[in-house]
Amino acid sequence: MITVILFSVTILVIDVKDHIPAWLDDIDLYFVTTVFVIEYFLRMWIYSDIHKIIIEEYEESQFFDKKVSSFRLIAKIFKNKWGYISSLSAIIDLIAIIPSYRGLRVLRVLILFRAFKMLRYTKSLTGFLYVLKNKKFELMTLVALSAFFIFIAGIMLYVFEGNNKNPNIHNLFDTFYWALITMSTVGYGDIAPVTPEGKIVTILIIIMGIGLISFVTSIIVSSFNERLEVLREDRVIQEIGKKNSITVLCGYGLLGRLVAQGLQKESVEFVVIDKDEELATLAYNQGYHAICTDATNGQVFQDLGIENRISHVLCLTSDDVQNTFIAVNIKSLNKNVHVTARCSDEEIAQKMKFAHVDQVIMPEEVAGMMGAVYAGEPVAFKVLLSIIEEKEKTQIDEITVIGNSFLDGKTIGAVNFDKFRLILLGVFKNGSADTLGEFIFNPQDDFVINAGDNLVCIGYVSAVANLKRRMQ
Amino acid sequence: MREQKNIILFGDGSFGKQLYKQLVYAAYNIKAVSTKDGAAQFELGDDIYIHKINIKKNDDILSLGIDPEKDLLYCAMQKTANNLFLVLTLKTLFADAKIISISNSFESTRKLEYAGTDSVIDLYEATSRRVVNILTKPAVRRALDEIVYKQNNLKMAEIEIPKESFLDGVFINNIDFKSFGVILIAIIDIELGHELIFTDHRMNNKLDAGDVLVVVAKIDALKKFKDTIATTKK
Repeated sequence: MITVILFSVTILVIDVKDHIPAWLDDIDLYFVTTVFVIEYFLRMWIYSDIHKIIIEEYEESQFFDKKVSSFRLIAKIFKNKWGYISSLSAIIDLIAIIPSYRGLRVLRVLILFRAFKMLRYTKSLTGFLYVLKNKKFELMTLVALSAFFIFIAGIMLYVFEGNNKNPNIHNLFDTFYWALITMSTVGYGDIAPVTPEGKIVTILIIIMGIGLISFVTSIIVSSFNERLEVLREDRVIQEIGKKNSITVLCGYGLLGRLVAQGLQKESVEFVVIDKDEELATLAYNQGYHAICTDATNGQVFQDLGIENRISHVLCLTSDDVQNTFIAVNIKSLNKNVHVTARCSDEEIAQKMKFAHVDQVIMPEEVAGMMGAVYAGEPVAFKVLLSIIEEKEKTQIDEITVIGNSFLDGKTIGAVNFDKFRLILLGVFKNGSADTLGEFIFNPQDDFVINAGDNLVCIGYVSAVANLKRRMQ
Repeated sequence: MREQKNIILFGDGSFGKQLYKQLVYAAYNIKAVSTKDGAAQFELGDDIYIHKINIKKNDDILSLGIDPEKDLLYCAMQKTANNLFLVLTLKTLFADAKIISISNSFESTRKLEYAGTDSVIDLYEATSRRVVNILTKPAVRRALDEIVYKQNNLKMAEIEIPKESFLDGVFINNIDFKSFGVILIAIIDIELGHELIFTDHRMNNKLDAGDVLVVVAKIDALKKFKDTIATTKK
């Protein structure tokens, strides 16, 4: 749409002085106008649902045993749609169509309204309007103050120089004009004070002007800063809106940061949410999608697509209660979203499970278990650490058997994993990620592998990649 | 392969509690030690005695009767500063003692290693991998749960080859580990040094007495395999 708008504005601007080919004019007249008209009616159509009005009207007429009044129905629909027709954006849309009437030369100025239409499609421009709207009171106060200074200064100069002392001042309007030009620091110089009193007024009004301009600038800049987070959030939501499946990581503390690194390494699409502005900014600066907001609030998840886009939510703040709160928030919005929550307290962990949190992770428990492994076997611990932390080339990975691939239907013995430089730990028989069956450890050589089975192997990353490649 | 060691667990808060729980489950002989100030709760039940000491006082630590040859020392204090101070104190008093610390960040890990900790368990590193695996490698996560995190039938273990064992002097490729119900993951071939060698490399190492095998097996099979190694002579 932006391209169409720019095309149309360019054509109309060129047409003011130069002649444009007839075919180009036709495109502008028929194609662009048709697009704008269709857009106008489509927007009016989707503005509200008229089915309800028709059904209500029909039911009412049935109830009272009378005929449906078409006039009444149309009036109701029109009243309903009037909300759209009378909105500022719809008025701009309508005026933007008018320049298509080439006969009325004066209406050509309305081409500018086509440029205004771009506000609909660029969030940053609307963001600027929001800033002005939010600071309406401050800006109006400044306008009133400026008007007051202009009024006083204008009258003073008129009193001092209006009586033929200054040949450029003919009436009061001239001095108001001078006051505005001077105060805005534009200073055309077409009217300049000639008396010492007039010059003193000029000095004062220039000082006032500089002060007011600085004030306006600071108001707009501070307002922009306040809105920056919202604009960033809008952009993140817009970008995330293009993805099919996303994971939301709540809490960008020590654990959150490590998980974010892991997710990025595995190419998982995710967005970080933290109510701490510093941490959200850190996540953003580290190149992740990040939103500074409270994850216990449902709105942000609705904006991100809790209904169909969010597949996993990780509650990883350092506060167990907060994690429970976030988890309940998610599950109450969509119970099918997979929630993993961090917890340090066993009693809270039980409550999380009661709230149907899918996975409760206790870092202290994980460390405790690893510590227990070390106590018995330091070398085994080293192997375990190497595998878990994925710091060596040899890693643990899983391979899902693809249907009709060379693995499908083969026995373990026939595949010969040694040949692929892989150690087969075990197999999960035919199950999805959430419904993995029993873990068949160290299956015998006559064990048959089928499509959908998940093989858990230890080996070089390249060896796993090689087997996956072979399957395709 | 190793003699049963005693464990002295310096801990407080949830770090100490969880570690104690897991170590007790693995049936180790544990002496729980905590600080006198009691800043972080460390309750293990009424019947478990917790030695309260001042970690800044050497006498208090010496009074625990630590034997660096037989005791494994775990430092699992909530505050990194306490852990660090404890490691330094223990290393000063018992230079040969084996110390394992729990850390909560990469930064702390670096400091604890510098202070002389033999092995550092970074609880967030391991947890983060587990969280990522939930999303990206569910089968791996489940398999690791079975082997490491769940107290069940599967176990990763290390076995030192005793002298005169039937494995002494035999090449890896000549042994059918599968027939014993074990999977060989890695070895330490002392002829080549003390480096860990993963067996996916398919190097046909010659095993000797003193080499260490790291295997994954069901507990019964593991016990049987250990017995076989110890009793079957070449």
